[in-house]
Amino acid sequence: MLFSSVTFLFLFLPVVLAVYYIVPDKGKNPVLLAASILFYAWGEPVYVVLMILSIILNYFCGRDIDQKADDPAKAKRSMIFAVAVNVLILGFFKYYGFLLDTLNSVLPSDIPYRELPLPIGISFYTFQSLSYIVDIYRKNVKPQNNILYFALYISMFPQLIAGPIVRYIDIEEQLVKRRISAVRLGQGAMIFIRGLAKKVILANMTGEIFEQISAVSASRLSVVAAWLGCISYAFQIYFDFSGYSDMAVGLGKMFGFEFRKNFDYPYISQSISEFWRRWHISLSTWFREYVYIPLGGNRCSAARNIINLMIVWTLTGMWHGAAWNFIAWGLYYGVLLVMEKYVWGAAVDRLPKAVRHIYALVLVMIGWVFFFSPSIGYALRYLAAMFGGGAGLADSGTWFIILSHWLLYLLAVLGSTKAGYALLRAVTGSSARGRVSVSTIIVYFGMFFIAVAFLVTDTFNPFLYFRF
Amino acid sequence: MTERRVGVAEVMKYVIFAVIIGYVVLLLMFTSGSSRSFDEVADSVRGALDTETLTEMNDQALKRNFGLNSADYDGVLYYAAESSMSAEEVLLIKVKSDDQVQEVTDALNERIETRLDAFEGYAPEEAKKLENANQSVRGEFIFFAVSSQAEDYRAAFDRSL
Repeated sequence: MLFSSVTFLFLFLPVVLAVYYIVPDKGKNPVLLAASILFYAWGEPVYVVLMILSIILNYFCGRDIDQKADDPAKAKRSMIFAVAVNVLILGFFKYYGFLLDTLNSVLPSDIPYRELPLPIGISFYTFQSLSYIVDIYRKNVKPQNNILYFALYISMFPQLIAGPIVRYIDIEEQLVKRRISAVRLGQGAMIFIRGLAKKVILANMTGEIFEQISAVSASRLSVVAAWLGCISYAFQIYFDFSGYSDMAVGLGKMFGFEFRKNFDYPYISQSISEFWRRWHISLSTWFREYVYIPLGGNRCSAARNIINLMIVWTLTGMWHGAAWNFIAWGLYYGVLLVMEKYVWGAAVDRLPKAVRHIYALVLVMIGWVFFFSPSIGYALRYLAAMFGGGAGLADSGTWFIILSHWLLYLLAVLGSTKAGYALLRAVTGSSARGRVSVSTIIVYFGMFFIAVAFLVTDTFNPFLYFRF
Repeated sequence: MTERRVGVAEVMKYVIFAVIIGYVVLLLMFTSGSSRSFDEVADSVRGALDTETLTEMNDQALKRNFGLNSADYDGVLYYAAESSMSAEEVLLIKVKSDDQVQEVTDALNERIETRLDAFEGYAPEEAKKLENANQSVRGEFIFFAVSSQAEDYRAAFDRSL
């Protein structure tokens, strides 16, 4: 089930909210858990069993590690077993087809294999389970005694399908006690509506333009068309994913939970390092805590640090998908971060602010080409078109798209910066302290109804990050 | 007491891991798609068909009976009885993308409805075959059989993946 679907907005969510608020405190977690299982089973009736088995497995693994805490060697073996099993399950569903395809292409073999679709959300809930396991081993948290509470942590529907990746340490107390009020319900609804509008209006519309441009062979794209396609995709993926994250944070708040923000205006960044402090924050944090720091982080020689960075960014690329273009995308960022840290970072810092901004955005755009391309060959052809290797400088079709969609791009630029939110607050008259005026209610209802109007007239548009 | 609880968690994690392996094996056996080419799967299914009652049909027949264009898919194998008194037919399609699965299954369901309307009154035996139509979606392969031997054809399809 999608957040941006009529079924969710007008049936599932109102019913779950009503029941959740009616039942006494003791019943709230079971209600939310049942709703989460139903939410997942709606779209994944087969794989809901896998998720439940994964929950039970990690529940017992956590307890086993804790019970062996007095014997570090045994605790470590238990932790390694849990991590290995989780990685094995994720790896099997996500990478075994890719692995066999790669073997078949490099070896004189044609090994046939059975294909299984990727369970939705498996990358997200596996990473949450791994953070739980490792944090118990590190004695940062105690294992959850109540399996229903643990199941709720893993399967909570607001963040189950596409994150943010919530660490158990951040939510442990909230699973037992959280503040639920009409004010927080309203605040959550406002965040949710902003996310819905981002997805349904901005992401889907810029996505349509990207689809239109990318349908043309890369060698037949003009420079302007190729850049417009790339910029449109940059807006699409940002509003799609940050819109989903906003909806998740808003829903969490409506049910009394506080999730950390997953995006912080990444396109205002002035370096690649800054971009990754602002983009998909929960994933970057996860890799820093559970891969980069255990590898030695930056408290080691420069050579070792470079290896650590490249390992982390190769894994980040692979996390996004079992394809060479994602690995290339990860390596691309690994190289850029190494270069910023050891080669040109200080020089970039001395550049004027506007130049630093252009530097970061151009490199991010090039990165998106690897991300949206079906193959590395296509990515290289598309990049060639962006830098003049396609069909000339400009074409009339692209100018028509720009002239007929200038307002969309203006809204997209505003929405990607703090100015957009400031403007929304000025228009609604709401204060930074969360005061809600009548105009706020009117504007947000307006946004909601416009988004719903887009939803009922639009074709099916799932979130891009569902496939990860 | 503590020792006993330690044992429970340790045993349970292995038990659940074994259950997960069993579950994945079942998924592979009964729900998975296949990396095999359409021709390989089609040859296996074709080999199991009773070609005395079923005849290979062309693209126009597919369009006429299901409203589907064979050029839209990676591969199509369509056999049907030549006699208008028989509802027997077998269809195998490999879609190009997951998005096409829904349109094909919708077309199959509509075909069953239309044929049931046609046969229900005067050919109850054929109507029964339609009610027991065998449909299976395995990854990018979609199999459909209306036949007294539908189970055998389905078995051949499952084996071919």
